[in-house]
Formats: sequence, structure tokens, C-alpha cells
Amino acid sequence: MKTAMIIDDAAVMRLRLRDILEPRYEIIAEAEDGVQALSLYNQCRPDFVTLDITMPKIDGIAVLQGILLNNPQAKVVIVSAVGQKQTVFKALSLGAKDFVVKPFDPERVRTAVDRLFAKTLT
Amino acid sequence: MKAEYANPFIRAASEVFAHETHLKMTRKSLELRKSPMPSRPICIILGITGPIRGQVVYSLDEGFAYEVAKMMLPGKLPAEIKKLTNSAISEIANMITGKASIDLAGEDHTIELTPPAVFTGERFHMDFLSIPTISLSLISEAGSIEINIALTEAQG
Ligand SMILES: [Mg+2]
Repeated sequence: MKTAMIIDDAAVMRLRLRDILEPRYEIIAEAEDGVQALSLYNQCRPDFVTLDITMPKIDGIAVLQGILLNNPQAKVVIVSAVGQKQTVFKALSLGAKDFVVKPFDPERVRTAVDRLFAKTLT
Repeated sequence: MKAEYANPFIRAASEVFAHETHLKMTRKSLELRKSPMPSRPICIILGITGPIRGQVVYSLDEGFAYEVAKMMLPGKLPAEIKKLTNSAISEIANMITGKASIDLAGEDHTIELTPPAVFTGERFHMDFLSIPTISLSLISEAGSIEINIALTEAQG
């Protein structure tokens, strides 16, 4: 089973994302701020992370940069309320695989994550 | 302060509540105040920086906060819902502000939001900005929320 890390400062969101992902993925870590996110990511190296943007200490954009610096192959799906055009553009051009805007439908998150591991057609 | 700051928040609040709680929010009043000082016992404060800056202060009472959390967490036990109530309403405030920020930022700008901070108690021992504020009251069948929007355009 692929492993996941959930990064979001809101406990309610972490719980909800866990409920959505858990049947298919193993959640091996949760972080509630950017500093904790970076240190846990390096310790547990999950197959993918869901990443919030508005968080205490270090925001999600800086966390995204930190994760990708450490592991350029990292699979990161942003899950954030800040769906401003420039923010979405920035996250995707830095290397996030998808950008899910809150509030979201569970299916949208599942699709974004399943797509990370879909075999590419040749 | 511009009156047109109100509409993005009214729209965002209706959409976020409809999605997260199935409550239909209706605008009950809109008035001007001297600061975003909240008038309900629980408040959530978010800072905004960028081309538009200031504070947005959401406030509501405990009963409505619990109802909102309950609707956001179907199937969870009352003790767990209680524990997550502040988190639930903070995230509602974050989502409303985030959604409103899409309209406020437009195509070319970025508006940064601070994480929401929750405070409870009848008296708030803190200073609020002295910024002309639009105070909105939105009501639903389960309770109401006040949204105080204290924003100005950055100089230069
Ligand atoms: Mg957040």
C-alpha cells in the first residue's frame, strides 16, 4: 500500500483527509505546521503528501520548495482554500502535481491522488 | 474601505456553508463600524496582507459553532465533535476568506492570509485595528455568524 503524509494546520481537515484516503492508502504521518512538516517528511519519506498552504511557522509554498529540494521526485498534492490564480500557478510551476481547492468533494481528492500512481499510457 | 469588499465575503460564505454544512445563509444586515471588534463570544481572526490588507474577524456563539462542527463531522461522537469545534469553525473562516481572496486578488495579484486564530470568552482582551469596518450578519436556521471586514488598499 502506498504511504501518505497529511499536512494541514486544521485538525478537522486532517481527520477528513484521513477518512477519505485511508481505505486505499496508509497514512504514516500528520503535521500541523510547516516546520513539523519538513522534519517529518525527511524522517518518514511517504510516497505522497497532501499539503495545505495557510499554516503557522512556514507556509505550504515554502514547505513545497523544501520537500522538492530534498526529494525532486516527491509527489505533492496541494489542498488549500487559497485558490487564487497566481498561487495555483506558483504551486504547479514549482512542482506540485495537483491543486485541490477547499471546500472540496472527497472524490476530487481521491482522483488527484489516484492519478499520482496511474500507469501512464504509452 | 470599500463597500464592494462585502460581496466576495457574502458569496464565499454562502458557498462554503452550503458545501460544508448544507445550511443556507442569508444576509440579515450590513453596517459600518469603526473597528472589527466582534460582538459574539467566539471569534476567529485572520490577517490579510498584499495589495489589500487588514483583518477579517468572524464571530458566533457556542451553540452555532457546535452545530457547524457537527455537520462538518458526520458520524463522529459528540466528545470528538466538541474537541474539534474550534478547528472546524477556524477552517470555515479560512475557507470563506480563501474563497473571497480569489475575487479580491483578481488575475494578477496575490493576497496572503494568516492562519486563523480563535479566541473565546465574552470579553476580548486585545486590540483590534481602528479601520473602518463592514459588519455583515448572516443567518441560517441553525444560527448566525458575524463577519467584520476591516480591509484597506495598501499605499503605493
Ligand atoms: Mg490551513
